[in-house]
This record gives sequence, C-alpha cells and structure tokens, in this order.
Amino acid sequence: MSTWLHLARGPLFWTALAFMVLGLVRQLGLTLWETARVYRRAGDKDLPVGRVVRETGSWLVPVRHFGKRWPYSLTTFVFHVGVILVPLLLAGHVELWRAGLGISWPALPNVVSTTLTLLVIAAALALVLERAIARASRALGRFSDYSLPLFIAVPFVSGLLVMHPTWNPFATDPTLLVHVLSADVLLFLVPLTKLSHMILFPLTQLVSEMAWHFPPDAGSRVAETLGKEGEPI
Amino acid sequence: MATPKRYAYHVEAAALELSDRPRRFLEAFAAILRHGSYNLALDTYARMSAKCGRCAASCQLYEATGDPQDIPCHRSELLLRVYRRYFMQSGPLKARIFGGFTLTDEYIDEMADAYYRCTACRRCKATCPLGMDHGLVTHLARWVLAEVGVIPRALVVSVREQLDGKTHNTSAIPLPALKDTCEFLSEELHDIYSVDIEYPFDVEGSEYVFFPAVSDYLMEADTLMGNAAVMHATGASWTIGSHNYDGINYGLFYSDRVMERIVHQLVDEVGRVKGRKVLVGECGHATRSAWHIPTFIGPDGPPVVHCIQYAHQMLELGKLKLKPEKIPESVTYHDPCNIARVGRITEEPREILKAICSDYREMTPNRTKNYCCGGGGGTVSIDEIRAFRTGPLGMRKADQIRDTGAEIVVSPCANCKKQLRELCQDNGMEEVQVMGLHDLLLKVIDFGTDGGNGAGEAQEGDVDEESEPTATGAASSGGVGVTASAQSGAAGGPDGEEG
Repeated sequence: MSTWLHLARGPLFWTALAFMVLGLVRQLGLTLWETARVYRRAGDKDLPVGRVVRETGSWLVPVRHFGKRWPYSLTTFVFHVGVILVPLLLAGHVELWRAGLGISWPALPNVVSTTLTLLVIAAALALVLERAIARASRALGRFSDYSLPLFIAVPFVSGLLVMHPTWNPFATDPTLLVHVLSADVLLFLVPLTKLSHMILFPLTQLVSEMAWHFPPDAGSRVAETLGKEGEPI
Repeated sequence: MATPKRYAYHVEAAALELSDRPRRFLEAFAAILRHGSYNLALDTYARMSAKCGRCAASCQLYEATGDPQDIPCHRSELLLRVYRRYFMQSGPLKARIFGGFTLTDEYIDEMADAYYRCTACRRCKATCPLGMDHGLVTHLARWVLAEVGVIPRALVVSVREQLDGKTHNTSAIPLPALKDTCEFLSEELHDIYSVDIEYPFDVEGSEYVFFPAVSDYLMEADTLMGNAAVMHATGASWTIGSHNYDGINYGLFYSDRVMERIVHQLVDEVGRVKGRKVLVGECGHATRSAWHIPTFIGPDGPPVVHCIQYAHQMLELGKLKLKPEKIPESVTYHDPCNIARVGRITEEPREILKAICSDYREMTPNRTKNYCCGGGGGTVSIDEIRAFRTGPLGMRKADQIRDTGAEIVVSPCANCKKQLRELCQDNGMEEVQVMGLHDLLLKVIDFGTDGGNGAGEAQEGDVDEESEPTATGAASSGGVGVTASAQSGAAGGPDGEEG
C-alpha cells in the first residue's frame, strides 16, 4: 500500500500536474496566439474593450446572472468556489507544498475547508440531479456532463474522510490512495475535457468578439480557394 | 421556379443536387476556416462547451416549442460536431477509437433546417456563462451551407439582382421608377405640410449619402418622408446615389462573401458621388452591415450614421424643431436586434419617442435583452414560413406587445416592421399599428409653415385632436406606400419577394 501511495503522491502526481500545467499553457498559448493572429488580420481593429472586460468580469462573479434558474446557478457557483479554494488553501495541502517545494501561503481554517468540501460534494450531486431533471440540460447532456461532476466529487469525499478519521468507515491508507489517485486522474483530464475552461474562461468573451472581426478579403479568398471567383450569384 | 419540397423554405434547384455534397461542404468549411476569423471561436467552443442549457431559457423559439432541437446550444453542436471530427487534431483519432460521426447528406439537411429556424438574434449569448455566441455559429453555418447551394430562394434571388442585376437593388426598382416615387413623396409632403422638400440625387460633395432599405420605397413611404423631412428641416447636405440606393445586405444573413461585395458596392457609390458619410435609413441589418465598413474597407472607409442617431443629435442641438403637440396614441418601441443587442442604439429612439409621444410605454424585457420580432436573420423575407414566424417564433413578441396595450408599435427596421405587421395580423391584434420612428417624427416636425392639415383628412396616428390643426401627418403608412408604389410603377422583388 505504501508503495502505491508513494507512487501516487510522487511520480504520478508530478506527471499529472505537469501534464495539466503544460496542457493548459499550450491551450492558453494557442488561444492567445490565434487571438493575436485574428486581430492582426482583422479589417476592423476597433475592439469594444470596455464591453468585453465588463462581460468577462460579470461572469467571473456571476451573481447578477442567476435569473430564473437560480437554484442551478447557485449550485454551480458554490461548486466552483469550493473546487477552486479547497485544493489550493486547505491547510494540509499548503503544508505539503511547504514541505515539498519550500513555498507556502495562508491556509483556510479547517472548519471552513470542511464546510466547503461538504458543499462541493452536495453541489456535485445536485448538479447531476438538476441536469437530469431540467428538460433542456437533460436533452443536451453527454456522458461526460454527468460523470465529471461525480468524478470531481471523489477526491473531495475521500479527502473529507482522510481529514476526519472518525467519519471514515474504511482504513486510512486506502482512502488516502483513492484521494490522491482520483486527484491525479482529474489533473490529467483537465486539458483533455471541458475542464479546460479553468484557463480559457477569462478569454471567452474576447474570443466571441474577435470572431466578428473578419479579415477584409476573407470572402474573396474563400471564393478563390473554391474556384468560384467571378461565378454569378 | 417550382422545386421539390425538401426544406421548410424554397431553394433553387442546385441546392437539391446531392452529389458529393458532404465533400463540398467540408471543402467550403476548410476554406472559410483558413481565410476567416472563426477558427478561434470554434476551437474554444468545441473544447469548453458545458451543455448547461442556460441558453434554452433565453430562446423565444425553445420557450414556444419546448423541442430540444431548438435549444441554441444543441443547434451550435451540429456544426461543432463537424468541426471536432474533421478540423481538430483529436477528431480522426477519436473517430478511429470510438467510431461514430460521419458527415452525410442527411446531416447537412438537418443543419439546413436548424440554422434557418434560428434568427441569429444573439439573445442567448448574454446568458451563456462561457460566452458562446450561438448567433455567430448560425451565421457561420449558413455561410458554409450557402457554399453548397443551400440558401433560401427569397434571399439569393434578391442578392442576385443586387449584385448581378440591372437595377443593383434587392427590390429591382429601376431608377426612373425610384425618381417618380420620390417626386410623388415630395408632392405629398407639399400637399400635407405645405413645405417643399426634394429628394436630391447625385449631389456631389454631400455630407450624407442615404441608404435606406430599398423596400421602403415600396412599403414605407411615411418613413421616407420622415427621413427627408428631418434632413430638410435641419438643413443637411445629403443625397441619394443614382447607381446604388439600397442599404440592404443579405450577406449578413448567409454569406460573408456576399456581404463583402455588397459593402464594397455601397462604399463605391459614396466615392462616386464624393460623399463623406453613409446615412443608413430605418433598417436594422443594413445598419449592422454598414458598421462592417471598417472590416471590409479599413479605417479610411466613410463613417456610418444611423438616421435615428442623426435625428437625435439634431434634436439635442436644437436644430430640429418640434411642434408642442404630441402624438396622443399609446406608443411602444421594439428594439431591432441588429442595432440594440450590443447596446449601440437603444437610448436615442426612446428619448425621441418620449419627446414626441404623450403615452410612451416600455415593453419588457427591452434594449439589449429584447426579444426578436421573430423575423430576424432574413427569415422575414421567406414568405413560405410565415406560419412559423408568426407562430412559435414570434409568439413571445406578440405577447409582449399585447401586454403593453399600446396602439402603435414603433420599430426602426424594415424587416421588423413587416414581421410585426404579420405578427399582429396572425395573432388577433389587427388594431395595432406598426410604423417607423420617422413616421411619427414627421407628424410633429415644426416646418415653420402654416400648412399641414392634410386637406382635412383625419388619419389614425394624427397629432392630438386637441392640438392645433396643423399636421395630420402623411396618410397612413399602408395607404401612401401602396399609392407610391403604384405611382412609381416599381416592380416588386425580383421574384415576387419583397426586400
């Protein structure tokens, strides 16, 4: 067991982390590169920067967008807050970073982390339930849309049990192994799935705006490529 | 031309030739991705789309039908699936491992149906947490479909006349007929308001070159009289170009390639008459297309001014004088998506209406969150889908209008007005009048003349009865429009379609 744990916490974790970071950096780099290319080729270079920044900001803290489906929106919001804060600011995790790399930052009190973890687990279940109940999201839902929230909940459930041994009906080491392994797999999945929005999200409003900034001669060039120049309408 | 029925809308025979169509679709898609600006957005959407379904709650069509096919995200997924399979690096690999999707004729038919059920109003964009612009995907998908010939005949026939025809306008109005119409409108203005207003043609060096939706010359005489009256009353330097007098640009609805050519044609006309600015009439998509002048021409293209922005500015500067009397009927305002969705023109029309109407009512939601009239994205020109437009697609707008209880709906857009009239007719609201903003403005402009009692013809939509018997306004929109059209002898659209 300790060998597996060592493997999961050591080489597997670092590989998964590197895969995630490099994958996201690649996606960020490609997106920024392509954004710059679209801008360079655009006929109209006058971007509504203020509107794009406002819209991006409003979705980063999307309280005013809750609207009619507020239970779903609230669940999603809570889920995201927990998923971002707990892995980064859990005292145990901060201590691991300090021990491993000698860097540290302020941690959340354990009671807050525990509360957030419980909220993430509840929100993950609620998200799946709400998706299955709401007609539109049920119609749109793919396998990954159901499985990802549930899979994200696995390291949170196992982490909670590790933090609170009295709640844990299983042995500590296997629980810890599930916690670390599921987290490793999750890190692998980030750049390969819609979870990549964790890096691309702040760019999406800009990306949508940029698409309307056509190159001045795109139409003519398409006609040329398709051999349709001079072709009557 | 009679063609076998394949889609809800009529298409030309070439669209029904299926040979090798998936390959041609993919070649066109590849060319557009290579030369256009869509790659970035599709790549981002394809990676991140969360399928949360929030967009469904904002789509008036899905609200009406409840059909999953009408969820904006589902519609976008149709094209994204093609993109993932054929244009992302992982596409072939996933296809090899998991099997699955292959582009077929049936799939193209499904897209052809789906992307013309959407008006590309872009209301759903504001509700997508990931910022997906489903209107953009519809816009792109229609272009790719157009390259394999799938275009509603109503649109392509008009564009053919505009780009390759003799008249260079979508309604096929010959210049002599247009000039006759303008003379007739001048006479009407003289008879009703005792004011001499000319429609100037080819006046070199004018500040403004006027491009209304050319169908206004057939259908919206009051709007055009209002336009001319505002320009006259403010002493503007303006002209109509005799080689090109049509602001309509259906390229916006189905092909950037077409849009590019029409914008060039418009700017060439401004150059020919040595004009300085483009003045767009009351037409939403013409305005949005003209805003693309910097896209196709660059920063040195002529600036674009919408006629409402002009009138509003003149009112603010005190150059446009109004009579003290106000329009007595209850009036509400419909925001055309193409000018309001991103908030470019929302306040000016309201400020004008509040200044000239005694009972202005707001419909809810409005401005950037407005509902589409149900005829956006060119669908209003497709008469064979009228029942769909005024049924599920326009139902929400009909409810909005009914809720205001207004007697007049104002919308500064030729397409919206046509759709709103049909919507009112088909939804038991025949008593509601639909008109342009300049139609109303015309009734209250102070020309400084004593005339303007309309020869005693009491008309609906006149100024307050308690007011002095000055302007009765032009005859009702329909009346003048029909008379003007008959007078001009202008033909209808090139294939019986109106622009």
